[in-house]
Amino acid sequence: MSSDNNTRTSRDDSGSNRRSFLKAAGVGVASTAAFGLSGCLGGDGGGGGGPIKIGHLAPVQHDMGAGSMNSARLLVDHLNEDGGILDREVQLVEGDTQFSPSQANQLVQEMVNEEDVKMISGTFASETMLGIEERVGNLNVPFIDTGSASPQITQNFVGEDYETYKNVFRCNPVNADFQADLLADYAEYLSDTHGWNSFAVVVEDAEWTKPMSERTTAGVQDKGLELALDRRISPDTTDFTPILDEIEESGADAQLKAISHIPGTSMLATWGENEYPFAQEGINVASMSPQYWADTNGGCLYETTAESGAGGTAPVTDKTVPFAEDYQAEFSERPTLPMYMGFGTYDAGYIFKEAVEAVGSADYENDLDDIVAELEATDYTGTAGQIQFYGPDHDYPHDVKHGDDLAPFPVTQWQEEAENDMIEGDGAKVCVWPEAFSTADHQMPPWMA
Amino acid sequence: MSNPATADAEESPAGFAVPLFDATANRYQLAVLVVAILGLVTIPVWAPSLTYVFAFANIWVIFVVSWDIISGHTNYISFGHSFISGIAAYTTALLTFNIDPEMAMYITLPLSVIMAVVAALVFALPALRLSGPYFSLLTFVSVLVATKAVYIFSQYTNGEMGISTVSVLTFDNTTMFYYTLIPAAVVTGLLLYISRSDVGMVLKAIGQNEVAVEAAGLDTTRFKIWGFVYSAIPMGFGGALLAHFFGNVEPIAFLIVDRSIEMIAIAAVGGMGTILGPAGAAYILIYLRDDLFRTFLGPNARWVAVWSVILILLVYSPQGILKRFWTFLGDLGGDSA
Amino acid sequence: MVDPVTILVTGGMIGSVYVLIAIGFSLIYGVRGVINLSHGAFIMLGAFTYLVVSQYVPGLAAFAVAILAVGAFSLLLYLGLVRYIESNVVITFLATVVVALIVQELLVLRFSLAPRSLQPIISGGIPVAGTRIRYYQLIAFALSWVALGLLYLFVRRTRLGRNILATSMTEKGAKLTGTNVFYVNAATWFVGGAFAGFAGVFIGTLQSTSPLMWVEALGLAFIIVTIGGVGSIKGSIIAAYLIGYLETLTVNLIGAEWRGMFALLLLVAIIIVKPEGLFGREFIE
Repeated sequence: MSSDNNTRTSRDDSGSNRRSFLKAAGVGVASTAAFGLSGCLGGDGGGGGGPIKIGHLAPVQHDMGAGSMNSARLLVDHLNEDGGILDREVQLVEGDTQFSPSQANQLVQEMVNEEDVKMISGTFASETMLGIEERVGNLNVPFIDTGSASPQITQNFVGEDYETYKNVFRCNPVNADFQADLLADYAEYLSDTHGWNSFAVVVEDAEWTKPMSERTTAGVQDKGLELALDRRISPDTTDFTPILDEIEESGADAQLKAISHIPGTSMLATWGENEYPFAQEGINVASMSPQYWADTNGGCLYETTAESGAGGTAPVTDKTVPFAEDYQAEFSERPTLPMYMGFGTYDAGYIFKEAVEAVGSADYENDLDDIVAELEATDYTGTAGQIQFYGPDHDYPHDVKHGDDLAPFPVTQWQEEAENDMIEGDGAKVCVWPEAFSTADHQMPPWMA
Repeated sequence: MSNPATADAEESPAGFAVPLFDATANRYQLAVLVVAILGLVTIPVWAPSLTYVFAFANIWVIFVVSWDIISGHTNYISFGHSFISGIAAYTTALLTFNIDPEMAMYITLPLSVIMAVVAALVFALPALRLSGPYFSLLTFVSVLVATKAVYIFSQYTNGEMGISTVSVLTFDNTTMFYYTLIPAAVVTGLLLYISRSDVGMVLKAIGQNEVAVEAAGLDTTRFKIWGFVYSAIPMGFGGALLAHFFGNVEPIAFLIVDRSIEMIAIAAVGGMGTILGPAGAAYILIYLRDDLFRTFLGPNARWVAVWSVILILLVYSPQGILKRFWTFLGDLGGDSA
Repeated sequence: MVDPVTILVTGGMIGSVYVLIAIGFSLIYGVRGVINLSHGAFIMLGAFTYLVVSQYVPGLAAFAVAILAVGAFSLLLYLGLVRYIESNVVITFLATVVVALIVQELLVLRFSLAPRSLQPIISGGIPVAGTRIRYYQLIAFALSWVALGLLYLFVRRTRLGRNILATSMTEKGAKLTGTNVFYVNAATWFVGGAFAGFAGVFIGTLQSTSPLMWVEALGLAFIIVTIGGVGSIKGSIIAAYLIGYLETLTVNLIGAEWRGMFALLLLVAIIIVKPEGLFGREFIE
């Protein structure tokens, strides 16, 4: 059902197709693509009554991107059920970035020049976002980052050249600098819970993990805990025995890892089958997928990962679980839950709606400053948390604020079973931290006792 | 030029005995050529939604004709041409990333081309002593080594993240189209001229029967090296141009061996050794891949379609479908071409 | 961490899997001189076949199915495509890599890019000399040698095997002695594919299974066979362990990101200095 290219029917009774799926080749109807008559379908300049198009960029071949694109589709459905934006129908323009910043550049071009989108959301990998940010800034289209965590996206662009980049915001996730600090907080929770005092910070060698190597390590030590090991491993490592041996030798109680490119399947299999005497904690992007238990044949048991929206298992806000349940009802192919990016993508649509309805116009060519001002004033209860943005003078301008009552950084764990288990088949996911809305206690691998 | 007695079991893919273009093309060939060129030059007018794709294709025309002048002619099949363009792109990127983001193009561009030529020669010199599959293997490995090096030295190259500090030429599609069309036309014209010149003849002769050429007293190594240089200069230019097209340089779009394979496939489909064949094939295949198939099949399934089309063309028309078409037109007009 | 016993053991484990990757490639390359760039895809198909079939039948049966299925696929590729184009080296090169790309994209459509691990037949591990070894690695090591033994018996003791060996030395000579060359080629492709399927299941379990795994597998096969020498099984075995140890030393002494680099550099050196490889002979037509 999540396969692409068909025009999907809406859920209202009129039976008409309210939303057409435009593959990002630029035009909705194939014949006009062949004959280049795209001008006809672009809609008018933004003032009149035609549909409002929003674009979404994500790597759809990957669970994360597919979950986010599905969330975007659900978002558009819900928006239209609520009357659309500015009383106009909302349409989605899908762009599969395929992990290539170059491809993403092409998609941005098409979305803006041919589809006349009023807003774009996305992307997953920080390198994709950084690769298109210059273009996005120059094209002025409102852009809400819903998946890339690199602090550079706000600091180095919006922060250094506000005028050019004021149209860029990030609503999700909490940026990597903050994530690194929060991981240290989580280590403290583990220490309080299990008496673990020694941690190994072992992350993949990538741009987004640099803050972990710098700040998590410092944070752990500031809290009086021991930093047993500090390593950055190559993203194309295939044999994890050496690093696991090294962690064992260091005496660490838990490995705080941060992996995205590394799928973790081999690492966890080696860890679990050999029963290495330490826990698997931290951030594992692949583990956010509800299908991860099946992919690893249960090798992920006891592993934790931090993820926005807590995988839909916990009431981060009162919208979190209902959204996850709606998603699950709608989409039956993998991924069966939105994963962290999907929560952000869903929220971004409503944030945008509130802003442009306050202004009364989505025409960013003429009303950009007003739209930006409204976005900056956002105070919205989303599915990932209470969304507010830092102001233009902050270190991280237009970045989502993090904090206990704002956007949190929840941690989930794979356990064998749980009460409100949303995972299909074997395995269950629970939220273990923060305790304000956790759904279960953190479990220690039994062989560590 | 080819000696039937020594024709080996492997049919040369550039298997033809006479130069592709006579001094005059017949009226059918001319007509097709004129219509194609006119259509191409005016794309922003009659097919504005295709402007971006064809601007991108312009740069790829530079890549494939540069590949063709050496590998298509001499039959030394290089799997490493993305190494050459990649070096140029990364030179531009490294300069802006590590030294000065504002560095002017009139500095970075020549340096990038020079580095590309140097890189090509570093590999050409030892590789040209090898024959057939070993030459190809060595060029294939050069791409793997370069890609690995990008990851190992990620401190300078930003690894798989890529470098985004490269300035974009323009954000306007139409302007970009002409900015890329002019170099593509110039490069194609120059390499076509070289192909038809004496140097080109020798290169093709080497492709047919290198031993005979040696026996005729020509220093084939010298010609091969020149062929590499003629290939590397535009290749480097194209690499830098592509960097400024996207505004960022990362291994996926610039370096990995998949890109080299695409260059070879496009040239083979167009007709190795003909310069114009690969150029035309570049436009056709990139249009199919990035526009037509993507619309009908989605960005994932389109790959199956593209590769299947290429496979069928490779198997059923190993001399190249465009070359075959050209020959067909030539026969139509009664002229041998 | 730089315990020599650890390195001895780890390198041996890795080498035994690499042998499986290279053997199939070497057979096809050696017998007919065909560089089959789909070989990595064969390995990948072995892993994915096991992934699907093991959901319905027990592990050992799934294992057998994977081996036979990939052998059959390889044979079909030969019969349906390669035998028509194999005289043209460039087209074969290109066509086989395009086939691999098509297989990759089909797998992505069906399975998505998410890597998976296969369920090992026996789980668990054992601490050995400062490191830990999964039982499955030991099984892979043992089976690798069993497979080599079977191959040896096949090539030395059976008629078909001896024909394959003979044809790999000289095709014209083989034809002259009445060998049915077509049959030999078909059998070679089947056996080569079967080995690839075999390797695929192990790699898919010990590393991971994904639609992109064929690239590294192909690269390894190519490197090992070229270094070891075209047409020489013995060369492939020695080169496989050589590369395995080289990688282990690199990872332990220098750093994991340099892992593949030295193998590549060794390959470059061999190509330039001794292109026929350590144990190969000049290719006789």
